[in-house]
Amino acid sequence: MNAMLIDSTRCVGCRACQIACKSWNELPSEKTQFFAGKGYQNPKDLSATTWTLITYNETKRRGRFDWVFGKRQCMHCLLPACATACPVTALKKTPEGPVVYDSSICLGCRYCQLACPFDVPRFEWDKVFTKITKCTMCADRVAEGMEPACCKACPTDAIVFGERSKLLAEAHARIDANPLNYVHHVFGEKEMGGTCVLHLSDVPHQELGHAGGLSEEPASAYSRPAMASIPFVLTGLGIGLGAVSWVVNRRQQLAAQQKEIERLHEIAEQAEGKEPGGTNS
Amino acid sequence: MTSHWIDMIHADVAMVMGSNVVENHPVAAKWLARAKERGSLILNVDPRYTRTSSFADHYCQFRSGTDVAFVNGMINYALEHDYIQREYVVNYTNASFIINPDIGFHDGLFSGYDEAKRKYDAATWQYEMGADGMPLRDLTLQHPRCVYQLMKRHFSRYDVDTVCSITGAPREDYLKICRNYTSTWAPDRVGTWLYAMGTTQHTNGTQNIRTYAILQLLLGNVGLAGGGVNALRGESNVQGSTDFGLLFHILPGYNPSPLAAEQGLAAYNAANTPTSKDPKSANWWGNRPKYVVSMLKAWYGDHATAANDFGYDFLPKRDGDYSHISLFEAMYEGRIQGLILLGQNPAVGGPNSLKERAALEKLEWMVAVDLWQTETSTFWRRPGTDPASVQTEVFLLPACSSVEKEGSVINSGRWAQWRYKALEPVGESASDLWILDSLFKKLRAEYAQGGALPEAITKLNWDYGTPEQPDRHQEPDVHRVAREINGYFTRDTTIDDKGTPKSFKKGDQVPGFPMLQADGSTASGNWLYCNSYTGPEPKDNKLARRDGKDAANEIGLYPNWAWSWPMNRRILYNRASVDPAGRPWNPKKWVIRWNETEKKWEGDVPDGPWPPGEKHPFIMRADGHAALWAATLKDGPLPEFYEPLESPQHNLMSSVQVNPAIKLWHKSNPELNPVGEEATYPIIGTTYRVSEHWQAGAMTRNLPWLAELVPDAFVEMSQALANQRGIVNGDRVQVVTARGAMDVYALVTNRFQPFRVDGRLVHEVGVVWHFGWEGIVKGDSANVLTSHVGDANTMIPEYKAFLCDVRKITGGVA
Ligand code: SF4
Ligand code: SF4
Repeated sequence: MNAMLIDSTRCVGCRACQIACKSWNELPSEKTQFFAGKGYQNPKDLSATTWTLITYNETKRRGRFDWVFGKRQCMHCLLPACATACPVTALKKTPEGPVVYDSSICLGCRYCQLACPFDVPRFEWDKVFTKITKCTMCADRVAEGMEPACCKACPTDAIVFGERSKLLAEAHARIDANPLNYVHHVFGEKEMGGTCVLHLSDVPHQELGHAGGLSEEPASAYSRPAMASIPFVLTGLGIGLGAVSWVVNRRQQLAAQQKEIERLHEIAEQAEGKEPGGTNS
Repeated sequence: MTSHWIDMIHADVAMVMGSNVVENHPVAAKWLARAKERGSLILNVDPRYTRTSSFADHYCQFRSGTDVAFVNGMINYALEHDYIQREYVVNYTNASFIINPDIGFHDGLFSGYDEAKRKYDAATWQYEMGADGMPLRDLTLQHPRCVYQLMKRHFSRYDVDTVCSITGAPREDYLKICRNYTSTWAPDRVGTWLYAMGTTQHTNGTQNIRTYAILQLLLGNVGLAGGGVNALRGESNVQGSTDFGLLFHILPGYNPSPLAAEQGLAAYNAANTPTSKDPKSANWWGNRPKYVVSMLKAWYGDHATAANDFGYDFLPKRDGDYSHISLFEAMYEGRIQGLILLGQNPAVGGPNSLKERAALEKLEWMVAVDLWQTETSTFWRRPGTDPASVQTEVFLLPACSSVEKEGSVINSGRWAQWRYKALEPVGESASDLWILDSLFKKLRAEYAQGGALPEAITKLNWDYGTPEQPDRHQEPDVHRVAREINGYFTRDTTIDDKGTPKSFKKGDQVPGFPMLQADGSTASGNWLYCNSYTGPEPKDNKLARRDGKDAANEIGLYPNWAWSWPMNRRILYNRASVDPAGRPWNPKKWVIRWNETEKKWEGDVPDGPWPPGEKHPFIMRADGHAALWAATLKDGPLPEFYEPLESPQHNLMSSVQVNPAIKLWHKSNPELNPVGEEATYPIIGTTYRVSEHWQAGAMTRNLPWLAELVPDAFVEMSQALANQRGIVNGDRVQVVTARGAMDVYALVTNRFQPFRVDGRLVHEVGVVWHFGWEGIVKGDSANVLTSHVGDANTMIPEYKAFLCDVRKITGGVA
């Protein structure tokens, strides 16, 4: 099974990966102003048009000031909570590694978004038909025998692509060879049952923007019951979800009711407080 | 670079100073990462903690503009502890040479200074000569006037406490840098020194580099794998443009451009061709007349004959300084009518850019050749300017990008690499070659009617396969250009090659520059590139080679990948990588070595074929030795510290505040050249680039993805300064100097820390200079803040250190 090993000690924060991702996947730019996170980070968060994001973190390493860079993206879990939560298997774990998505059967219920422990899937709101978006591990490139675009662009080999078991061994070998230079934890080895994106770091992984306090159990063990029990009490969210699933049902039955769908989208957007995404172009 | 990019992996210690290599040459980080993997130590010295610092093992902060003090202190540390590669220093540098009895140094000034002219007479800086016409030497390094002893005295003043007090470097961090770097004095330990515009863009820029060269020579680090003094060039083809005479003072191949006083080729050759009485000196520049005549033959063809000095009289002769600042001062005075810009955007990139924008208004006409509508091409409609008030006629010629044409790019490591056309040019855009070829044809037609010195144009040998009337669909043949650069025989010729006669036919390509002649029998556009295209066919174009096999020494030379000047040599001064018997100092990573059985060198192309010990290794110097002591510079034979033109600190080393040999434009041309004082502008300012934008920004601020990453100009400042000024991250602030002001966002960060200088706290801020009023994302350039003052030798502007103030804009929002 394919995986990516991302070693933040080699990352220089150049963002070639972030741009390569947009380039390969033909994702538009976002309208930004100044910087939206710490340091030079832009945009603010993962979004429908930003599937990977470099974070800039001022911290301390071995007692001295340091500036370290993290890379956020879909972790391509071995047993993905998103796929387990999906009522129609629009999200699927492939044997090659990537967790892929089929928009033609997606209901737009957003269960996956709520289920993902890494806060990854995003909804595309400015389209008539909602769809979820996230890193695909460049499944299209991988199918052609190429490495993912971000990996290809990285000048320092901070991102390497390959067989998961080999990368895991490589990750441990790097820690063993340089025990002072790494925290002794391969993020993604065990988190949520293990993932196909593995991170190495010289500061605690949470300081790079990765989720903390995660179980080693795969989410599949509990995600569907958990999802089913989520009471839609958060009004905004409730309206959003209710509206969207209603919309999708309609979509499948009655394409003619386009206007109503759009109206419901508007309600959903207002409820989310989301601005329609502008672009810098 | 004296070495090349890949070679960094062999450094035991890599020093990055005056460069933010990781941010501004991110692909170079690939090689630094490999070096780190092999256990190299990366050191970084910078006023601010950058992405390079985060990558380094040790970081030391220091105040902008105090580089000479910082490294002079390191040199002192090496001399004091005797951390020097003695055999190398004695045999390969001019440490043992004895200097004129009248040499002196007092209170910041060397002997021979003329205060009224702000100029040195270098007579007393010269070697003392023996009766045999050779410089006197003391190989024991004891003579009180030998370079080594003069250096010991000069550098002893730069003790750790003084240096830390000047530079603001924390003592422990400074000592760590000194200790680690000077560890490379051991013959089999090597350090590389990487620098860029953080070094050159100072009034002491040349001396900054001199400090690196001196230290590298003392430690025996030049010529070895993993060593060298390595300029990381600021653009992908800057090395190429310098090689080809982009600068006003040089012709292609680093031959000086003729001066008005040098009337006639004989006078030029006499003034510019060094001689040596030392039989062990190769004195390579003694060949200069061959290279200049061959260049003239390439330029003027059959019109260049021995009778007319090969067309030397057609060349313009200069009578002074035509560097960037001088040109813009002359333009401002109305002394320049027209300007052609190729890929240059001085309205953003030029120093004191408010003055330079005003100077553009004095032009009658301007032609900008660029990919985009740059700020310079629209200076007439810049914010605050009424276009009706500007009389300049402006033309914008759309150039195509590098992937839309075939040709070569020369990287910092001197590799000339051929590139192919991937796409047709967009719209009406055309290659630079087509634009220049067409412009030339039109000019020649004009000059055929007469004009001032029309022969300079009408007699040019110009045939790149295009019709007389420019045709948009007929591209000049770039291979003809490349073949002419290499050079060819102009007649049937037989040359005595060390006893063996070699015959060539008229039109044959010259195999290498040792074959170039001063009698007109050879033509070569640039002698350094002779050997790059050695036959008539595109397959003979060595720039296009793509063979990934390494040389016998397996140090990543890849000799059949592209081609490197000179003669495909990958590491310059490689004769210094072996001891006088030809044995590598570092046998594990040998560059060249002498094969006693076959009587020849192995490995890299050596700096000349002579057996070991037969010639001194630094063949480009008349005395054959690397110059610890440099009598040719305008501001002293050894580096001495002076403060930047604008500085909050008086010079702690002497009563001479600024470099005594720089031109003071604020005195000679006071209009729009004010200089700020600490009372009004208490903060040090510097300028720089980020990974996400390129130079003046035209190529990146027009790309939505890059615009998304860094959409606005910003100033970086410490938390301490922000607190003092009531500024929080994301505030709009104004940065102001005596010359101009700009509104930017404030980025408050721990990566900037105030300095403790001479016992008090001094603040520094840094501003990016990529922005202007064109493009998808706009702003102003940090160059509205910088000034018209340059280095004493190169006139490179002092972009990197000035005085400013930072004020919060009330009512601003993030
Ligand atoms: S990180 Fe989230 S979106 Fe990606 S596979 Fe895991 S659960 Fe699914
Ligand atoms: S391309 Fe590589 S080095 Fe650059 S930010 Fe991405 S992971 Fe880091």
